[in-house]
Amino acid sequence: MLRATWLTVQNEARLLRKDPIVLFMLLLAPVVIITVAGYSLGNLYGNGSNTVHVPIIDRDRGQVAAAIIDALGRERAVAVERVADTTDAQTLVRTRDRTPLAIEIPPGTSNAIAEGRPASLILYVDPVRRLEVNQLELRLADFCRSLSAAAQATAQQRLADSAADLRAQLKRLATALTKERLQIQQELAQQQAAIVASINAQVGNGIRQVAREIETTVRMHEQQAWGELQRQLSARQEILLKVQRYLVELQASQNGFEIWLETLKERAGRHASDIPPPPAFPVPPSEAALAELARPITPPSFASLPPRSSLLPSLALKVPALSPGSEGELASELGSLRDASVPALPGTLGLIERPAVEGGSVAISAFDQYVPGFGVTFLLIGMLLGISLTLFDEREWGTLKRLQVSGVPLAGVLLGKLSARFVVGTVQMTILFVVGWALFGISLGRHPFALGFPIVSMSFAAAAFGLVIAAVARAHDSVMPLGTVSSMAMSAIGGCWWPLDFEPGWMRAIAWSLPTTWTMQVFNDLMIRNQPASSVLWPCAVTMSIGCLFLAIGLCAFLKLNK
Amino acid sequence: MTRCGPAPILQAIAVSKSYGSRRVLDGVSLDVNPGEIVGLLGPNGAGKTTTLSILATVLRPDSGRVLIQGTPAHEDPRRLGRLLGLVPQSLALYPTLSAAENVWHFARMQGLARRDARAACARVLDEVGLRDRAHDPTRSLSGGMKRRLNLACGIVHRPAALLLDETTGGVDLESREQILTLVRQAAETGAGIIYSTHYMEEAERICDRVLLIDRGTLVAAGPVDELIALGGGRPRMEVTYRGHLADNWLCDLAGVREIAGSGGHGRLTVEMTKPAQLGDVLQHLKNLRVHVIDFTLHSPNLADAFLALTGRSLHDSAPEEAERN
Repeated sequence: MLRATWLTVQNEARLLRKDPIVLFMLLLAPVVIITVAGYSLGNLYGNGSNTVHVPIIDRDRGQVAAAIIDALGRERAVAVERVADTTDAQTLVRTRDRTPLAIEIPPGTSNAIAEGRPASLILYVDPVRRLEVNQLELRLADFCRSLSAAAQATAQQRLADSAADLRAQLKRLATALTKERLQIQQELAQQQAAIVASINAQVGNGIRQVAREIETTVRMHEQQAWGELQRQLSARQEILLKVQRYLVELQASQNGFEIWLETLKERAGRHASDIPPPPAFPVPPSEAALAELARPITPPSFASLPPRSSLLPSLALKVPALSPGSEGELASELGSLRDASVPALPGTLGLIERPAVEGGSVAISAFDQYVPGFGVTFLLIGMLLGISLTLFDEREWGTLKRLQVSGVPLAGVLLGKLSARFVVGTVQMTILFVVGWALFGISLGRHPFALGFPIVSMSFAAAAFGLVIAAVARAHDSVMPLGTVSSMAMSAIGGCWWPLDFEPGWMRAIAWSLPTTWTMQVFNDLMIRNQPASSVLWPCAVTMSIGCLFLAIGLCAFLKLNK
Repeated sequence: MTRCGPAPILQAIAVSKSYGSRRVLDGVSLDVNPGEIVGLLGPNGAGKTTTLSILATVLRPDSGRVLIQGTPAHEDPRRLGRLLGLVPQSLALYPTLSAAENVWHFARMQGLARRDARAACARVLDEVGLRDRAHDPTRSLSGGMKRRLNLACGIVHRPAALLLDETTGGVDLESREQILTLVRQAAETGAGIIYSTHYMEEAERICDRVLLIDRGTLVAAGPVDELIALGGGRPRMEVTYRGHLADNWLCDLAGVREIAGSGGHGRLTVEMTKPAQLGDVLQHLKNLRVHVIDFTLHSPNLADAFLALTGRSLHDSAPEEAERN
């Protein structure tokens, strides 16, 4: 079987060499379609090469309008055209090619922005050219965002400059104030000292005068009081001497009574006990006490009293110092003014696109999508031509029957065809990538050689798919409609023509059973997301598995058909 | 049907085949010996191509067996397949390849080594007269050249059994002669050949034996002379003349009778017992002062035999069968 396979491979190479149409379909047609699609649909990826015309009605004639026109004019694919009238602009949008929208800059836009008021541009759009409009609107939104950010940054800078000036003035003011404060403090201290001295002198004199007058008055009243006191005490002293003598006599009477009582009792005899006890006499004061009462009163001498002047307080007035607090608050206020941060204008919220993968790129070329996408599509079509149709050709030519008669195993012939077309598909895809890289500058990723894995796995799956179509079609005329529809559907659903995310969920679910989906995933990972070479393993394994399934189905069906 | 002699290279034993409810072959048995050319003669739709397809092992019979060199064909298809060479009715060539490339591919596929294949290609292209056009694309060749190339691809590996299906259909006389010569040469080198045709003349010219087949059944088999005799036919002569002939103008010629005439209006057909009586008839007409403008002698042939045996002309066809084949 290996011999049959190898000889079939050789024969397929001869057949291919003799068939310029197939060579055209394999190489030139995909390049043509990729070129057309890449340049036509490049706008979808923001890198279209067509110049679009943008009529502008400038009613503002200010800085903002100038900036917008200037920014648009710098765009490679935009041609700015000033028009005077809105109607003219609308007519241009409606009737002229590559004029998807017109811009009107209303009067006062620049002033509004300068004064912090909102402003809007008016866009006249052609709904038919929605995609181009969207692209331009994105660019315009970008410009507007940039303009707003620039204006805000300028305002912020001006505010910061004003704040800096104010801080400098405050600083100078604080310095002057401090100096003034020191001077005032000195003057105040001097005045305070003078006042205190004056007051102290006046008060001292007054106090001394009052003290002298009080001393004199007190001396006089003192002498008068002592005289009266001595007079009254002398009278009472005489009475007290009389009381003292009475008491001595009373004491002598008590003694006589007691003797009388004893005598009485003795005389009463037995009736002495019937005599009641006499009333007791009060105990007289002691002799010493009575002697004290009798001692003459000596009036106190005021000569030993302290001088009255010493009793007067010495007044030393002190002027309360100026409250340092008042000075500190002012300084603090000034300091806080100096240190106060400049109020910031609200910032603008912008977008910064960064690749989700380190080393990846944010912007891609449409060719990064279309070279692998249409390469896979034409790979499938090439397999239809190279396997499905040629198998029917061989059946119609009778060559297959002749080979069967000669004992050549049909499976060997089929494998030979598949092998040849697998190699052709691999070479075809490789050439397309090289052409894409050389002509359109597509990215080959960090590991260009890793692209060989999806190329090989997809070529294998596509070759096996060609065999399935040959087995299912049953007739030569059915191959093209059946094969074309299935190839196109497989390519479209598999994300060869547009990103897979464009498709609804149920379609994406179907897509994961197709080899095209897995292959495009690998191409996108390697070329656009700059994934490492190891990322190809799983998707390529799935693609190869689907290819094996196709091969088993195709071989069984075709061999059964030709039994 | 089996003859005594050397072991047959190819044998079919009671082979039957049906397509749906319609029986296409019914118990056909045949054998082909080395060096022998066996003609398979029948009208279109008689079952010739089906028979060849079964012998070539590309079609399985419903019943019966096919033996190649005494071995059932399905036991070792690869080895036995290389003993066969098929030249199908339609061209079996790659139209975009050159003549040499076609022959080379089939030579290699038939198991020839590279060196042997190179020699065989040169030889067979020379034999079919295409040496000068060897590198021209096949599609640029004339119909006759393509037929010869078709034959070359079938005999390049010198098969032991060669199956030729309407090989000369639609070719010019020169190519037909070349093809018949090549077939004869192949037989002389020892190949057993089955030559399917509906051209009676070709079968009579090159076949050692002929099998008459009609509606899937062999109606007769044997050497050409035996089959012609089996049909019981006699020589006939058609004459175009000017003059007048009486009704009983043949009464003096024994063994000759008029089987068709135009009633004295210039054309007549007579049947003879042997071709040698041609001169007698012409002399007799001369004696009767009739001017013979033209005449044709028609000897009995396989078509006559087929007609006699089946009641149908060799050029009749069964449309459905022809379409299927």
